Amino acid sequence: MQNADAVVEMTNVRKEYSDSIALDGLSLTIRAGEAVAVMGPSGSGKSTLLNMIAGLDRPTSGSVVVHGSDLGALDETGLALFRRRGIGMIFQFFNLLDDLSALDNVALAAQLTGTSAGQARARALELFGELGISNRKNVYPAQLSGGERQRVAVARALMNRPALLLADEPTGALDSRSGEQVMDLLLDLNQIGQTLLLVTHDGRLATRCATRLIEVADGRIAREHSLERA
Amino acid sequence: MNAVWHAAWAAVRRRKLQTIVIGVVVCAASATLVMALGLLEAASAPFDRAFATQQGAHLSAAFDPAKVSEADLTRAAGKAEATAGPFRQATVDTSEGEVFLGTLTVVGRADPGGPVDRVSVWEGRWATGPGEIVLNRAPGSDGRMELGFRLSLPGRPVLTVVGFARSVTGSADAWVTPDQVTALRPTALQMLYRFGKADTAVEVDAGRAAVTAGLAADALLGTLSHLTVKDKATSELGVFIPFLMIFGVLGLAVAILIVANVVSGAVVAGLRHIGMLKAIGFTPNQVMAVYLVMVSIPAVAGCAVGTVVGNIFAKPVVQDAVEGFGVDQLSFAPWVNVAAAVGMPVLVASAALVPALRARRLPAARAISAGATPHTGRALRIQRRLSGTRLPRSVSLGLGLPFARPGRSALTLASVVLGVMTVTLAAGVTMSMTAYNNAVRPNHTDRVELLAGPPPGAPVFAEPGAERPAAKLSDTEDESMLRSLPGTSAVLAMSQLDTEVAGGTQEATILFYRGDTAALGPRVLTGHWPDGPGQVVVPSRFLNQRGLSVGDTITVQARGNRTQVKIVGVVLTNNADQIFADWATLNVLAPGARASSYQVRMAPGTARDTYTAAVRSGDPGLRVLPPRDGTSSTAVIIISAAVVLTLVLGAVAALGVFNTVVLNARERRRDLGMLKSIGMTPRQVTVLLVTSMGALGVVGGLIGVPLGIAVHQLVVPAMAHAGQADAVDILMDVYRAPALALLALTGVVIAVLGALLPARGAARLSIATVLHNE
Ligand SMILES: Nc1ncnc2c1ncn2[C@@H]1O[C@H](COP(=O)(O)OP(=O)(O)OP(=O)(O)O)[C@@H](O)[C@H]1O
Ligand SMILES: [Mg+2]
Repeated sequence: MQNADAVVEMTNVRKEYSDSIALDGLSLTIRAGEAVAVMGPSGSGKSTLLNMIAGLDRPTSGSVVVHGSDLGALDETGLALFRRRGIGMIFQFFNLLDDLSALDNVALAAQLTGTSAGQARARALELFGELGISNRKNVYPAQLSGGERQRVAVARALMNRPALLLADEPTGALDSRSGEQVMDLLLDLNQIGQTLLLVTHDGRLATRCATRLIEVADGRIAREHSLERA
Repeated sequence: MNAVWHAAWAAVRRRKLQTIVIGVVVCAASATLVMALGLLEAASAPFDRAFATQQGAHLSAAFDPAKVSEADLTRAAGKAEATAGPFRQATVDTSEGEVFLGTLTVVGRADPGGPVDRVSVWEGRWATGPGEIVLNRAPGSDGRMELGFRLSLPGRPVLTVVGFARSVTGSADAWVTPDQVTALRPTALQMLYRFGKADTAVEVDAGRAAVTAGLAADALLGTLSHLTVKDKATSELGVFIPFLMIFGVLGLAVAILIVANVVSGAVVAGLRHIGMLKAIGFTPNQVMAVYLVMVSIPAVAGCAVGTVVGNIFAKPVVQDAVEGFGVDQLSFAPWVNVAAAVGMPVLVASAALVPALRARRLPAARAISAGATPHTGRALRIQRRLSGTRLPRSVSLGLGLPFARPGRSALTLASVVLGVMTVTLAAGVTMSMTAYNNAVRPNHTDRVELLAGPPPGAPVFAEPGAERPAAKLSDTEDESMLRSLPGTSAVLAMSQLDTEVAGGTQEATILFYRGDTAALGPRVLTGHWPDGPGQVVVPSRFLNQRGLSVGDTITVQARGNRTQVKIVGVVLTNNADQIFADWATLNVLAPGARASSYQVRMAPGTARDTYTAAVRSGDPGLRVLPPRDGTSSTAVIIISAAVVLTLVLGAVAALGVFNTVVLNARERRRDLGMLKSIGMTPRQVTVLLVTSMGALGVVGGLIGVPLGIAVHQLVVPAMAHAGQADAVDILMDVYRAPALALLALTGVVIAVLGALLPARGAARLSIATVLHNE
C-alpha cells in the first residue's frame, strides 16, 4: 500500500542493540507537509527512530523508505548522498564546527554538494536574513548563545532545501524563551510547506507546532493524535 | 599507590591502541640503539683491551743493520718508557714454496713475553730450537696449516710450525729463535717501543724522534704506529659507525617525539578521566603518577623486547663484520644492554613528564567540562581562508585541521621530518656507496679481462679444473694482436708484484700498468699518473694508514730488489695496500717480466662472444675471465643496513602519524558525526583526515630532504675517514633533481600510509554510536 504523497514509510522496523531493543516492529508513515512531533520517555527509542529515517543507522529488520528510496538498498556512500540532498538534521548538542564561523558552518552543507564557496555563502546569507541572525554571521559558535546556535543549525539544515527536516530535541538545551523562538521558526517553516519530524519532551511546544503527535513507548507507537494547531 | 596502579592499569587496558603504539615505537628504538652501541663497542673496545693486556708496542721500527749497531739502538731506546729488541728480522718470500703465504716478516725472538708486545701463544708453544717457527694468527681463524706443518723453501732450512700466536701490534708474521733467524739472512733490526704518551699521532712522532735521536739519518727503514694498526683493525667496521650512530640518533629522536606526542595526546584525550580522578580525591601527584605509569608499562615492555631483538639482530651483523679482522671473539659489553634497557625507559619517562605535569596542574572543573578544543586566532583565520577556496570541502577542512592542534601537529611533523631525513640520508649513502663501488670496481659489460700467465714469481692462481693461462705470443705481440682486433677501443696491460713496505708487516701489491691507463686505469684524484721509473700513485687509504703524503719517498722491496719510489699522486681505489706504477718501474724490479693480464674495452656494439672468440684465435693461450661481479661486501652490508633502518624508521614515523590521526579522530568524533549527518560520504571523511596529514607530509618532505642532505654531507666524510679514504666529489654529489623530487614525496607517503588506516576506521564509525555515547 504505497502511499503517493508519503515522504517516509517505515514498515515493521525493529532495531536491536546488544543489550536492548530500541525499536520493536514500528511502522510509521509521514506525508508531505506534515509536522510530526514524537514524544516518549527516555530510552523509548525516539532518537533511534530519527536515526533510522536519516539513514544514520540500519534496522535489524523491516524497511525504511524515504522519498521513494529504500534505505536498506543503499551503501554508506549512497546514504550520505541521500542525506546531503534529502534530509536536514538538527541535534540537541554539537551541531556546529567550532573552528568555522556561523556563516561558513551553514555554507558547508552546500559546499559538500559541489556548490562554489561564493554561491554557498550567498545562499547562507539569504537564510541568515530569513532567520533573523544576519548580524551573527561572522561570529564563531563559542560566542553564540544556545538559541542562536540552534537557529544557525536550522539554517544549515535548510541549506539544500531538504524535503524532510529532522530535529532531535532541538530545544532540549535551551531556556524556555529561546526554545519558543526556535519552535516558532520551525512552525513558520512548516507553514510554508516544509515536512517536519521532531522529537521533544515539551508537550506544550509539541502541540503548538505539530499537526500530529506520536507517543512512543518501548520501541512502539503507543498513541497517536491529530492536532489542530493553535 | 595501589589506587594509582589500579587507575593506570585500567587506562592501559582501555587505551589498547595507544598502548600498542608506545610499545612498538619504543621497541624499534631500543633495537636500533642496541645495534648502534654494540657496533661502536665492537669497533674499538676489543682492540684496546687486547692492546692493553699485551702491552702492545706504540711504535714498531725497522732499522738498517748496516747503518746502526744493536748497542746504539739499545742506548737510544732509553728515552722510551719500555722497549723490546733489537730483534733481527728477515723477509721470507714463500712464492716458491708449496703453500703460498706471501712475503713473511720473520723475527728472531727468544721469548713471547717481555715489557713490550707480550705475544699470546694460543695454540702449541713458542719456538725454542732450530727448525721451529710460530705463526702470527688470530685465534679462531682457520688457515691452511696446522701444527706440525713443514714449511720448506728452496735454499732455506725447513721450518716446522710449533705454535700459533697473536701479536696485537702485528710486529711480525712469524717468529723463530734468535739463532734460527740468522740462517734466514736477516735484513733489518726490529725495535718495539712503548711511550709515556702515545694517544695521538703527534705524541707518537715525538716518541719516534726521541728514540732515533743521534742515529744515522738513513738508518730507519720504516715505522708502524699503534694508531695505524688500530685504525686498520677497526677501519672496515668503522665505516659503519658514523652511519649507524646517526641512524641510532634519528631512531631515538623519532621515538622521543612519538612518545611525547602519544603521551600528551593521552593527557588531552584523558581530560575527563583526569577530572574524574581529581574529583574522587586523587592528589595532583597521584594524577601525574597515573599518567607516568600508564606510558611506562608499554614502554618497559617495548624496551625489553627491543633490547632482545636488537641483540639477536645485531650480533650476527657485528660478528660478520669483525671476523675478517681477526679481532677476538666478541660479546656485547653489558653496558650496551644496560644503556638500552635502562636508558630507554628513562627517556620515555622524561618525554612523558611534561604532559604529565600539565595533567597534574589541570583544575578538575576544567578537566571535567573538557571537550571544547582550544582554538587559536590563527587556526580560525586559516579555516576562514580555506573555506573560500575552490578546493573540495573535505580537502580544505582537512588542510585546516592541523592548525587546530598546533603542538600535536608540530610533533607529528617532526617525526615525519625525521622519517624523510632518514630516507634521504639512507638513499644518499646508498648512492655514495654505489658511486664509489662503480668507480673502484667497475663491472662494465664492455670490458674483457684476459689472463696471460702468472705474475713474476707468483704461483699460478687457478681454481681446480680451470685451464691455466699460458700466453702463446710474446707480450708485445699479444698487445698488438688485441689492438688490431675489430671492436677494441682501449687496451691495458698489467702485471703485479707483492712487495713489502719497510717498517712493518704491511705488505702491499704493486700493480704495473701499460697502455691506455687514462681510459682503463683507476681515477687519479690528485697529482698525476706515473710517467717514469720510480714513480707511484697510491690510494688515500694507503697514505693515511702509513702517515704518508704525496711527494714522499718510500722503499719497496720485491724479488730481493729494493728500490725507492716517489708518490706522485692519489688514485681512487678501495684497497689500502695497492700501489700503482708504470711499466718502467717493473723493469727495475723484475726485468723482462711480461704482462700477466690484459684488460680490453670493447667499442660500443661489439658482441662479447664474437670478440672473445677472436681473442682466442689470436692467442689460444689467453684465458678469458668471466665478467667481474663488482659488488663489495661492505657496500652490500651498508646498503642493506640502510634499507632495513629506513624501513624501520619510516614505519615508526608512519606510526606517529597513525597515532595522531587516531587521537584527532577520537577528539573530533562529534564533528565527524555531524559532517556525516549532513551528507559527508565515508570517502570524504577519509579524504579529510588523510589530507590533514598529507599536508604535514608535504611540509615534512620540504624540510626533511635538505636536512637529510646536510647530514649526508657530514656522515659520508666521517665514513670515508673511518675507512681511511677521502670524501671525494663522487661520494658527496649524489643527489640529482629526479631523486630529490622522489625523496620529497616520501614525506607524503609516510603521512598517507600512517593516516589511511585510522582515517578509514573513523570514516566507518557508526554515527548512531557516536551520538548515543555523547
Ligand atoms: N548505539 C547504541 N548502542 C547501544 N544501545 C543503544 C544505541 N543507541 C540506542 N541504544 C539503546 O536503545 C534504546 C533506545 O535509545 P534511544 O536513544 O532511541 O532513546 P530515546 O528515546 O532517544 O531516549 P532519550 O529521551 O533519553 O534521548 C536505549 O535503551 C538505548 O540504550
Ligand atoms: Mg534521544
